[in-house]
Amino acid sequence: MNKNNLTRRDFLIKSASLMTVVYIIPDLVSKTEAKPLDEKVSSKTKWAMNIDVDKCTKGCTACVEACIEENGLYGMDRPETDSQWIRKLTLKDIKTEKIVELPMLCQHCENPPCCDVCPTGASFRREDGIVMVNQHTCIGCRYCMMACPFKARSFVHENLTEQLTSAPRGKGCVESCNFCANRIDHGSDMTACEEACQKEGHKAITFGDLSNPKSRVNESLASKPSRRLRSDLKLKQRVTYSGI
Amino acid sequence: MGQNFYRYLFLFIILTPLNISSHNNEPHSIKGSSKADSMTQCVEPTEIMQKEHFVFLYHQRDNTVIDGIRTKQHSLANCIDCHVGYDEKGVAIPINSEGQFCQTCHVQTAVNIDCFSCHATVPRDKGMKRIKASDNNNHLSDKIKDITTYYHSNNHE
Ligand code: HEC
Ligand code: HEC
Ligand code: HEC
Repeated sequence: MNKNNLTRRDFLIKSASLMTVVYIIPDLVSKTEAKPLDEKVSSKTKWAMNIDVDKCTKGCTACVEACIEENGLYGMDRPETDSQWIRKLTLKDIKTEKIVELPMLCQHCENPPCCDVCPTGASFRREDGIVMVNQHTCIGCRYCMMACPFKARSFVHENLTEQLTSAPRGKGCVESCNFCANRIDHGSDMTACEEACQKEGHKAITFGDLSNPKSRVNESLASKPSRRLRSDLKLKQRVTYSGI
Repeated sequence: MGQNFYRYLFLFIILTPLNISSHNNEPHSIKGSSKADSMTQCVEPTEIMQKEHFVFLYHQRDNTVIDGIRTKQHSLANCIDCHVGYDEKGVAIPINSEGQFCQTCHVQTAVNIDCFSCHATVPRDKGMKRIKASDNNNHLSDKIKDITTYYHSNNHE
């Protein structure tokens, strides 16, 4: 008669498992959802990158090569002027004499000096924090290149052919790292350089959304102290470095 | 009688250069080789496209670059993907080269566009630039279909 023979213990176990299935498991699975293609980017997403210099390996250029491949940045064999969106630097700490190698790229400042000096508004900061060049309005004056303390930008000096469909670029415009905006907008949460760094097994580069507590960048920021380069300039870069 | 013959001969001679110049070894797209050739509808009604295609492109351009909107309908990459022609070997012919889709009308109407100094004139994905007509690859057309563009492989629509 009495079907309701659930003991107190059973009830607690069952409701706990139900809670796990409904609330906890979905939470463990990473929550960054791809933005629908027809939706504008918003400041709810905050793209950022942390680079653990201790994990960055001497002589490894996997990130640089991946960037070239992703954006079709083939050069003219003229290292002085060929475009570089990411490059390897060797730094020496004057006090400790510690020598480190690190990848240098657009630091995606929250207060970007390149945008301050741009006469046409072509240098701009997208709502989700990506600093980039609108090549349709760039007049090639290169003020932004002079304003950038990190020398992160390049100018295209020559006519190009064989550009990739996903990465238009051409003579007379400034260009720089755009956190693989095209890739990100199509649903990825990983830049080409991070992917390459992971494939090499170094995991020095971590990218992700600062608003997502479980993003790879937040995990790496939580696990180790990090700093901004030239923090005296108060540019509030979204690219930070650990281990220096 | 003789006068008429010379008239025709004269016409033939002055029209000959036209005749020759249209066959100067430029790769000709095969009629019906683009995806659009086997379809009946553009992304908007044809009369509107003929007159206002650039309005859509200009809007899309700002929507994409400034707001990160990546819809396909008015995307330039997508126009090229659908309208680009292929030669006998299955190699895509640059869409802005002589006689090709984005060029013919513009020559007739004296329109100059600089889009293709930056934008790829054929569908070209990562790694694709290594495949060239000179590679004499028999499966080239299959490869073009396989790799087409980023836009297909990553399309979540
Ligand atoms: C100086 C180089 C340059 C020139 C010239 C240029 N573009 Fe672009 N265009 C770009 C870049 C860079 C992007 C951004 C690509 C991205 O983020 O995916 C872009 C993106 C676009 C997009 C959105 C992406 C797509 O494929 O739909 C459209 C539409 C577009 N451009 C249209 C045009 C048109 C039309 C012209 C000619 C009137 C033109 N562009 C000329 C560099 C250029
Ligand atoms: C999915 C294939 C497809 C895509 C994508 C596409 N078109 Fe078309 N387009 C067509 C077809 C098919 C026609 C012919 C329609 C007809 O015959 O009425 C056409 C016709 C046109 C015409 C008129 C041509 C003429 O000779 O009258 C223009 C201009 C045009 N398209 C431009 C564009 C532009 C610009 C884009 C990108 C925004 C684009 N198309 C994207 C399939 C496409
Ligand atoms: C049916 C003929 C036709 C075809 C096909 C065509 N166009 Fe046009 N296009 C025109 C005409 C005509 C104009 C000038 C319209 C005006 O100024 O009112 C024009 C203007 C433009 C403009 C604006 C130029 C300016 O000075 O502002 C752009 C950009 C453009 N076309 C891009 C394209 C692209 C890209 C394609 C290939 C996908 C294409 N067109 C194919 C006829 C065509």
